[in-house]
Amino acid sequence: MRTNIKLAWRNLWRNKRRTIITISSIVFSVLLASFMRSLQEGSYGSMIDNVVKFYSGYLQVQDSAFWDERTLENTFQPSPELISNIKKIDDVTLVSHRIESAALTANGMRSKPAMVLGIEPELEDKITNISKKITKGSFLTPHDNGVVIGEGMASYLELGVGDTLTMISQGYHGISANGLFRVKGIMSHPNKEYDNRLIYLSLETARNFYSAPGISTSLVIMTDNHYGVNQLKKKIGKILPEQNTVMTWVEMQPELEQLIQSDRGGGIIMLGVLYVVIAFGMFSVVMMMVKERKREFGVIHAVGMRKTKISTMLFLETLMIGVIGSIIGLFISVLIAFYFYHNPIPFSGEQVVSASEKFGMAPYLFFSMKPSLFYNQMILVFSISLIISLFPIYNIHRLKITKAMRN
Amino acid sequence: MKIIEIKNLRKVYNSDSVAVNAVNGVDLSFEEGEFSAIVGPSGSGKTTLLNIVGGLDDATEGSVSIDGVKINDLSARKLTDFRMEKIGFVFQAYNLIPVLTAKENVEFIMHLQGAGKKARDKRTSELLKAVGLEGMENRRPSKLSGGQQQRVAVARALASKPKFVLADEPTANLDSKSTEKLLDIMEQLNKEEKITFIVSTHDQRVVKKARRVITIEDGKVVSDERK
Repeated sequence: MRTNIKLAWRNLWRNKRRTIITISSIVFSVLLASFMRSLQEGSYGSMIDNVVKFYSGYLQVQDSAFWDERTLENTFQPSPELISNIKKIDDVTLVSHRIESAALTANGMRSKPAMVLGIEPELEDKITNISKKITKGSFLTPHDNGVVIGEGMASYLELGVGDTLTMISQGYHGISANGLFRVKGIMSHPNKEYDNRLIYLSLETARNFYSAPGISTSLVIMTDNHYGVNQLKKKIGKILPEQNTVMTWVEMQPELEQLIQSDRGGGIIMLGVLYVVIAFGMFSVVMMMVKERKREFGVIHAVGMRKTKISTMLFLETLMIGVIGSIIGLFISVLIAFYFYHNPIPFSGEQVVSASEKFGMAPYLFFSMKPSLFYNQMILVFSISLIISLFPIYNIHRLKITKAMRN
Repeated sequence: MKIIEIKNLRKVYNSDSVAVNAVNGVDLSFEEGEFSAIVGPSGSGKTTLLNIVGGLDDATEGSVSIDGVKINDLSARKLTDFRMEKIGFVFQAYNLIPVLTAKENVEFIMHLQGAGKKARDKRTSELLKAVGLEGMENRRPSKLSGGQQQRVAVARALASKPKFVLADEPTANLDSKSTEKLLDIMEQLNKEEKITFIVSTHDQRVVKKARRVITIEDGKVVSDERK
């Protein structure tokens, strides 16, 4: 084997320029593929992060019937033990209560149906950064009696900060709910629907309004590892009481996952094309290598080297090219992606920047450092090398000494 | 003692549906320690005969026995091992492995045989000394002249201590001086170490050195003279 490795290594460098060009093409391809995938997944990560921070969170614990029928009758009373146990699970960064229902809002002669969201203000702010969307007045405090409404609703109901908003609804177990609330803040929500209809109350105020003490419609759970959401779901599912269920953002917003999957599919097709080009490049080099050394193969077989050993030598040569190229490519890719992971590329153009900011998104191109994005490229090139190495093996299998030596 | 026995050997090539008898009913035998030259015009069947005797090509009919083993009956894998153990080859175009040094080319077969480093070093140094290439062990073929390369090829052919060496036109690409030197080395190895050489050639200098001259024409042995 040592002889084979030595021979393969030396053979690799008998045409230095060709080997360097082949290795460079692999390095460049791995680099390009890793860079593309890192950017793609970084963008998805940022998109998911923005979307889950918009409303749903990464996971939600709910009453099993709530998702299909969102009424206050399908709520639950989370015990402090449950919340403490969820917080103990690795990767869980935050657990926050919500109570979510509807109400009719009014001011003077104007009225409007609204979505009411009772929240824990400090925790909710960590999830949705809602305080940054306040344009007038201020955000809620934990025991606040006021409300925060969108600019759309404020404009329709002709309300300003300090004015009183009337709300009528049906509370827990059919009790009638009504109240007057001071407008503490007005927000500019990037989602038009939310801007026109969403009302934030503190959790305590909302529970009082709906006569639902201790009741929540959901526990919103955040994590800093969005790739691990499914594992997290399993872990949380194991400690939940029977009446509860846990849903991921994918289940709550399947259209986002579908959008990402279809875009990812497009990216992978592009990568496929890139790898076909690499494969042909490598194949042509291997083919040339085999053709121009046919006589040599004839000679070494004539003097007693078995075909299996010659094949092994050629296999090693192809493999070495693939491995060297992909390792260098991997190393450079990780370095570059690491730099851009910590220094994302800012969008240029004022309009793009302001549009991103309006939607609560950072105006940057983000990169992902998920290890599999990088080593998958290496595995792919390695697999391509393995497949290509079948060509010399096939050629050696068919080798006729006298014909090869006439070459 | 007979080491090669060829019986009714025939090789027919079918090119463009015309059958060509490259070797046509050859019966020959070679004794240990012989220095034989096979001569004949181009296309007479010398190389084909040598290829079949060396197990590099199949015969259409007849048999070749080497050291009592009928090589026609060996599987491809066994034949490869047989060639490595029993036969040394010297080719017209030297055919050294370009990425290996002179020393590594010589010990290449010993590597295949699984010989230890000590044994390899000893044998390689003896052989390179015998072919007059002391001090050039670490040169690659591209840094050696044609004559020097052919001498490395002779050393390589002898590395596995074969029963005999088949040399196909070994002097065809060499100048007179290199030819003389190579032939002296082969003659010396033949006389002193009893190595059997079978050389196909057009070169009269080789014929002069040979103690047996076999002439082939149209695939048949037309004369077999011993000096």
